[in-house]
Amino acid sequence: MPGRQLTSAEYARLAGSGALIEAEWAPCRSACPVHADVRAYLDLIGRGKFREALDVIREVLPFPGACGRICHHPCEQDCRRNDVDQPAAIRDLKRFVTERDYPEGQKFRKPVQDRAPVAVVGAGPSGLTAALDLAKLGYRPTVFDRSAAGGGLLYSAVPAYRLPRKVLQADVDAILAQGVELKLGVEVGGALTIDALRSQGFKAVVIAVGLSRSRGLPIPGADAQGVELALPFLASADSSGPRFAGKSVVVVGGGNVAVDVARTAIRLGAVRVQMACLENEKEQPAWAWERHEAAEEEVATLHRLGPKRIVVRDGRVAGIEFKAVTAVFDEQGRFSPKYDESKLTTLDCDVVIFAIGQESDLSLARGTDVKVDERGRLVFDRNTARTSAQDVFACGEVVTGPGSAVEAVASGHRAARAVHQFLTGAPINLAESLPPKVEKIAPATVNRLLKATRAAMPTVGAAERRRNFAEFELGLDEAAAMQEARRCMSCASGPFVLTDKCAACLTCRRVCPFEIPEVKEIADISSALCQGCGICASECPANAIVMASYGPDAVQKEVGAALAVLRPDRLRIVVFSCGHHAPATRWGGSEAARPAAVAKEIYLPSMSRLSAADILAAFEAGADGVAILECTSGACRYPTVDQRLRRRVDLARQLLVEAGIDGARLSLAVGGAGDPAAASKAVAQVAERAARQTHKHG
Amino acid sequence: MIVADRKPLEEILKHVAGCGRILVLGCGGCVTVCASGGDRQAEHLAAQLRLAAKGQGRAVEVTVKTPTRQCDREFLEPLRADIGPADAVISLACGVGVQLLAEVFEAKPVYPALNTTFMGAHTGPGTWTENCRGCGQCVLAETAGVCPVARCAKSLVNGACGGTNKGKCEVSKEIDCAWYLIYKRLKARGDLSFLRAEREPLDWGKSSSGIRRTLVHPELTDTVPASAPAAPKS
Amino acid sequence: MSKFRDALASGKFTFTGEIGPPKGTNVGPVIEEAVHYLKDCCAAVNVTDIQTAVMRMSSLAACRMLVEHGVEPVLQMVTRDRNRLALQSDLLGAAALGIENVLALTGDHTTMGDHKEAKPVYDLDSVGLLQAMRKLESGTDLGRTMKGEPNALDGTPRFFKGCVVTPCAEEVEPQIIKLEKKVAAGAEFVQTQAVYDPKAFEKFMKSIQHIKVPVLVGIVLLKNAGMAKYMNANVPGVVVPKDIVKRLADADKKEVKKVSVQIAGELIRDMKGMCQGAHIMPLGWDKEIPNVIAASGA
Ligand SMILES: Cc1cc2nc3c(=O)[nH]c(=O)nc-3n(C[C@H](O)[C@H](O)[C@H](O)COP(=O)(O)OP(=O)(O)OC[C@H]3O[C@@H](n4cnc5c(N)ncnc54)[C@H](O)[C@@H]3O)c2cc1C
Ligand code: SF4
Ligand code: SF4
Ligand code: SF4
Repeated sequence: MPGRQLTSAEYARLAGSGALIEAEWAPCRSACPVHADVRAYLDLIGRGKFREALDVIREVLPFPGACGRICHHPCEQDCRRNDVDQPAAIRDLKRFVTERDYPEGQKFRKPVQDRAPVAVVGAGPSGLTAALDLAKLGYRPTVFDRSAAGGGLLYSAVPAYRLPRKVLQADVDAILAQGVELKLGVEVGGALTIDALRSQGFKAVVIAVGLSRSRGLPIPGADAQGVELALPFLASADSSGPRFAGKSVVVVGGGNVAVDVARTAIRLGAVRVQMACLENEKEQPAWAWERHEAAEEEVATLHRLGPKRIVVRDGRVAGIEFKAVTAVFDEQGRFSPKYDESKLTTLDCDVVIFAIGQESDLSLARGTDVKVDERGRLVFDRNTARTSAQDVFACGEVVTGPGSAVEAVASGHRAARAVHQFLTGAPINLAESLPPKVEKIAPATVNRLLKATRAAMPTVGAAERRRNFAEFELGLDEAAAMQEARRCMSCASGPFVLTDKCAACLTCRRVCPFEIPEVKEIADISSALCQGCGICASECPANAIVMASYGPDAVQKEVGAALAVLRPDRLRIVVFSCGHHAPATRWGGSEAARPAAVAKEIYLPSMSRLSAADILAAFEAGADGVAILECTSGACRYPTVDQRLRRRVDLARQLLVEAGIDGARLSLAVGGAGDPAAASKAVAQVAERAARQTHKHG
Repeated sequence: MIVADRKPLEEILKHVAGCGRILVLGCGGCVTVCASGGDRQAEHLAAQLRLAAKGQGRAVEVTVKTPTRQCDREFLEPLRADIGPADAVISLACGVGVQLLAEVFEAKPVYPALNTTFMGAHTGPGTWTENCRGCGQCVLAETAGVCPVARCAKSLVNGACGGTNKGKCEVSKEIDCAWYLIYKRLKARGDLSFLRAEREPLDWGKSSSGIRRTLVHPELTDTVPASAPAAPKS
Repeated sequence: MSKFRDALASGKFTFTGEIGPPKGTNVGPVIEEAVHYLKDCCAAVNVTDIQTAVMRMSSLAACRMLVEHGVEPVLQMVTRDRNRLALQSDLLGAAALGIENVLALTGDHTTMGDHKEAKPVYDLDSVGLLQAMRKLESGTDLGRTMKGEPNALDGTPRFFKGCVVTPCAEEVEPQIIKLEKKVAAGAEFVQTQAVYDPKAFEKFMKSIQHIKVPVLVGIVLLKNAGMAKYMNANVPGVVVPKDIVKRLADADKKEVKKVSVQIAGELIRDMKGMCQGAHIMPLGWDKEIPNVIAASGA
């Protein structure tokens, strides 16, 4: 949205609709396949509202636990903080909120389900997502899976040291608790055909069978003992004991699966694990961080090697011979390896594991109206998520090809929408028009921003972790998580200018710590540059600046809610606190220090959002006193906020005193946000003065 | 720009003590720019009025409106519906707006919330400073663009008084001596002839201390010019 | 008729003194002191006009009383408190009361005095006041008839018109320019702000060689070292050199007055050759004026 400007009338129409915050997306959200509202949940985490953050994630992602560990996080790749220092640790923060114990527990409500039954084949991320969406829409989904647990490859392939099974199980259980039925150990295509499902009354079928077969290579010796395929190997790995003790393993492949296989092999006691891939270091498809972790665990990677034959001795693997690779891709960038057969390399080993790709098993389609093309792929229309059969849809890797869990989830959402449209008789239309994403920050602004180092994920050292399948990333603690969340710049959450109100007074330009607003005929505040502190909105004399999120209306709503929980016949003290520096959680820890039931805290995204008018409004709404807990000087990511807050409090106090209210009923505890003792002292003082003037008691 | 300053609440309250319904009118013009009478300041005042009434155990209904500006009738007319039910109107406009409001809505008591102070410019964070006094005979051409009428404490026309001190005015070390600035600027331009010229006293009759002044642009008036050609005969 | 004018015209080194009317009606003592100590040694005695904007008895009235006591006054007139109507009216009055010497001043701002709420007038500035006097002397005034013609006066005054300058101002060029304008507007004598540095004064006098009006160097009696320091810090265009401050500081308490008189005398002695007279501002030490003059050797 070029020039975030609105008329007052437009604003009145849009206010509260979410249209402003949706006007532009942060790039993290655009990059996320399910478009999770990262900005929103990072803000909530930063303010200690962990449960609320988790709810935001769950709206679009039924696998927060799993994705919080193993997501390939394209959001982070696109995070605008990359231009400043390092991206926000979005994935780690997601994990953080799934690890908390919530007093209300992880109870889920079962929706009213009075619509048709739908069958889903495959309980991988895509299938379970489609089923959950349908359940929420009121359908009665049953998911069939041949394996022993839900989760698809996350269950059967992703190594436990990256994704503990109980974490995955918690995600699956949450899905089931919301009205999804899961039938395990049932293979569709065998005894239970698609037609049988139809005749059982399922009005639609979703095929979400993923890519369940590992590919091998038909090279000489491939049938020798000691040659394995990635998926079966991984499926049995953590329960198989140290079966590679003393052995030397070569993993063929350079992708993420190969890395998992190699690292798993190490954990099974192999003395030596080598990955051999066609690609050179730059071309190798595995994520850099995974390769790095593998290297730490002493997995060696050899490049530009094409498997030629397995060296077999006594029917057992003795080594593998490679030919040199001269090129992996052709001029058009297509996969088309070229070899130099004269240059050969042989690696001695006891085990060879092929991790060179997966393919689907579509035997369930055989003999049905669900057609498979000559290359063995499901006949599928991307635009409708439908197969050749009217009532059969598909999603996940079986139709998208290999990808990531969150992409499978996104695909599941599409299939659910298609099924819903189909079953409601609507034409199927899955086209989405997404809001534009906010542009890159200009270097001039980057230079004004405070740098903040990304929270490092604590891990178990390589020497130790390579010995077992225990999770090696340990998770962020609360303090680190909150601080990390605060690094998010809340992209495009900032102001809109009301065109009919702006008087071009330049105040916004003058108070902005980053000199972002340009004032010509009227103010123009670039979302690409704005840091969303809201200082300008709280100072604009014309009230011409509205915030896309957390404007004065939000503050006043919270004031109302805070007062509502306090007894009106007793003192009621509203405490405004910097949510980032005095998180809700910290008060909780010092409940004793907190003055009785008379105070209720409101955690602001930044104290910059609190205007003098907000303070007056709190008194008007019925507060007997207001205590403000400022962050520790210099701790704010927005420069100047501490000084500005003090001036605003002074102004508010002056206005209050004029109106006959004891100025001591408003207090500002400098640094109080970081210091519960100072904070409660400030609150107590306010309470005392308020009691004196109002004759109410605590 | 016209600069104005909020009156103490006490003074405002005196006038509206018995009113149950008050309309507070900000002004979207100059006083918004100097952050004294914008919509925000109008809301501050409204909150104060409500709080003060509450403190006395009274209820008062205060509405805030901020027209584009109050110094033109056309912007005031649309307020008629808001003004009707109000017992009193408090205006955060400069004296110009307050008077026009009182004139357009003659039957309604209109009270100023601001003291209109001067014509000035933004000279630093949160700071506005007087630059012009509307003397009606602008001398800036001769004084290197520094107004001695507004910026010299004594409105001298022939140069600094004996009180000029290290570039500052005798009345305060915070205030620049206008004549010092004039001298410096003219000197830098290498031409002090304007400073040397003996000036006649100002004609204060043309200034704000004279009678109410009026500007007329004949081409914009409704009067028929004497030179108008007779309407063609049909 | 002005003896003061004649004294300067004679080329004799001329002294003027200064008194301030009382805040109240008890004008006797100050007149008496003037008669006693100033009458003989000064050609004329300035009477301040609501000095530093602290309200006092009218200068005009006190001047008239001096006339009655045979002391020739210099009527100081500031433009702060009266508009051109009142100023001209008082000038005519002064002339009628036998007061000829008038010193045109702008006057300290009202906010410096004890009636900070007073409306400062400054209708004219000091140049404007000189212009007004010249007009009156030419038989007309600053106004015009209904027909737009110059008014005609019934009886024309004659003044000996003076002005002031600050010789040791930080920025001396504007002082000189303004002095030129004052002289062009009719000033016939100059009394200066206090001078404590003869070298600086010499330099100043050289730079106004082209201005052909007599100059009386200003001498303010320093009551102690503290006052000297205060003046250095706060009084524009006044620089008391270190050695003078030291002499005052070192002086025995009882001797300070003597030292002060001695200093003033030496200053006059040193600057006598550069100018045409000295204007001594005793600030209450009226009695010392004869001693100063004696100490100067003039
Ligand atoms: C080793 C490995 C590591 C990975 N690491 C990551 C990672 O770190 N991050 C990431 O985001 N993604 C990772 N992935 C990819 C991720 O697991 C997949 O993208 C995702 O699981 C695909 O989901 P899906 O729903 O399409 O299918 P799947 O997860 O493959 O689920 C398909 C399900 O269908 C069942 N099924 C198949 N046929 C039938 C049938 N006929 N009847 C009944 N049930 C049937 C299967 O048992 C399976 O449970 C990894 C994959 C592998 C193999
Ligand atoms: S800074 Fe925050 S909102 Fe912006 S891209 Fe990164 S995570 Fe998203
Ligand atoms: S602060 Fe001034 S320039 Fe900025 S939006 Fe408000 S009225 Fe417009
Ligand atoms: S003050 Fe804050 S919200 Fe306003 S433009 Fe600047 S960075 Fe954005």
